[in-house]
Amino acid sequence: MQHLDEGTIHSWLDGALSADEAARVEAHVKECPQCAAAVAEARGFIAASSRILTALDNAPRGVIPAAAPARRIDPMVWRIAATVMVVAAGTLVVFRNGVGTTKTDQAAVQTAATSSSALAPEAPIHDEGTVTTAEPTTPIRTKALPGAANAARALSKPPAMEKRGVATGEVGANAQVARSQNVPAAPPAVQTFAQPMSAAAAGAVAMDAATEQPRALKVVGTPRTVGAKVTLYEVAPGDTVTLTEPVAVQLLQSVVTGVAEQPAPRQAAGKAAAAAPMRRADAAAVSAPEPSVGAQASRVESANGLTTISWPDTVTGKMLKLSGRMPATRLQEIRLRIERERAAAAAEATKKNP
Amino acid sequence: MTDVERLFRTYNAALVRYLTRRLGDRDWAEEVAQETFVRALRQTSIQNERAWLFAVATNLVRDEARKDMRRRKHLALLAEQEREEVVEPEETTLERAQEAAMARKAVDALAERDRLALLMREEGLDYNEIAEALQLSPGSVGTTLSRARRRLVESYETLQKSREEREKNAAS
Repeated sequence: MQHLDEGTIHSWLDGALSADEAARVEAHVKECPQCAAAVAEARGFIAASSRILTALDNAPRGVIPAAAPARRIDPMVWRIAATVMVVAAGTLVVFRNGVGTTKTDQAAVQTAATSSSALAPEAPIHDEGTVTTAEPTTPIRTKALPGAANAARALSKPPAMEKRGVATGEVGANAQVARSQNVPAAPPAVQTFAQPMSAAAAGAVAMDAATEQPRALKVVGTPRTVGAKVTLYEVAPGDTVTLTEPVAVQLLQSVVTGVAEQPAPRQAAGKAAAAAPMRRADAAAVSAPEPSVGAQASRVESANGLTTISWPDTVTGKMLKLSGRMPATRLQEIRLRIERERAAAAAEATKKNP
Repeated sequence: MTDVERLFRTYNAALVRYLTRRLGDRDWAEEVAQETFVRALRQTSIQNERAWLFAVATNLVRDEARKDMRRRKHLALLAEQEREEVVEPEETTLERAQEAAMARKAVDALAERDRLALLMREEGLDYNEIAEALQLSPGSVGTTLSRARRRLVESYETLQKSREEREKNAAS
């Protein structure tokens, strides 16, 4: 065997040779004093260079201090982020388990069934992720939207319509009114979907909403539809109301994109779950024609036990529809409440996103 | 999605040390390391994490070095440092300061590729990882490292000798 070259010796000492090669090198070094000396020298170089490099570790700080400190990511930040994820995921689980999902869903389905449009295909997809996973490692977004999952599920048979309905809350006590999604309630329990807002922004809003407002109308679903925003409110156990608000097409598109990718932000609200249980669902649906603005005041329609009232929104001027299986007078009460919440939410939204 | 927190915990110390040795400034090193992790956040998957991180950090340093502004800033701050007297993390004896200065010179005297390969090896990267990070053939890593080590030690010893001579002359 030829003498070993320096690169091979270093590779051997660094443990980078295959077993065969290493055995050959070792055998040769035993036989060859010249190569044995080269190996000894290489060991010296390896040790000495490590020592020399160690001397560099006392490099001064602050040679370039200007921006550096500000940009440094404190390891604490990672810790906090991880904690938030775990808490959010955990809350979700609790949230899902704690709420009367079945009833709510059924109610939502019924309401949805009454509407005419087709269900969007993506809706069901959210369902899986949402329902099944709850581990902290999963991105919050996916799980975060249990509400979305519900809505999707609820709507899967009947197509989504252009309405948003509300399923009644778990607690009979707050068999109150539903509020529209677009209009985040004064106690910001609900965030605005309609507004095209960045995912991050939406998430933030959801968070806020979550932390505040314990008693707003309970939103049980927000099936996504094209051309309208639909919110399902739970007014009493098993009793839901659907609020539909037409949305301009352009606006709608942005909303769809945002929502489809980020169902989670809502979920962030999951954190709020403890304080204010509310749920929403998103589902895609077929588009609805643009509503005409400035329609006349409150109109009442009834069909198959489902009562629908419609009126022009005071804020946007768009026709809003509220439907549910209850007398028109009750719907009117709910409508008032929704309007109040929408107004407050609009004010809130302006404050947040000027 | 890579678990960035885990990456950070696993590799931050080594990466910062590598960069500190490479750059001679800990703040700068930490800044580059952070940027490296931020980029890792954007990756959906990373094959060989360690090689990827060191390669990205190395490229960031290289890109940075091209920026004139950065250099000017560096020089301006060095000047400021002279005036203000930087607080060292720990007390540095004259002896250690001299060793550090010589080590810096010896490391700076290496060819870039030799220097990076050596610094990566010191942080535990294996030959395949070094080859991947520096885009070398795995077979050439041994040669690169042997050359780097020999040159580093030789230039350090040369500096040491001339220092001893200076001290001898000063004493006599």
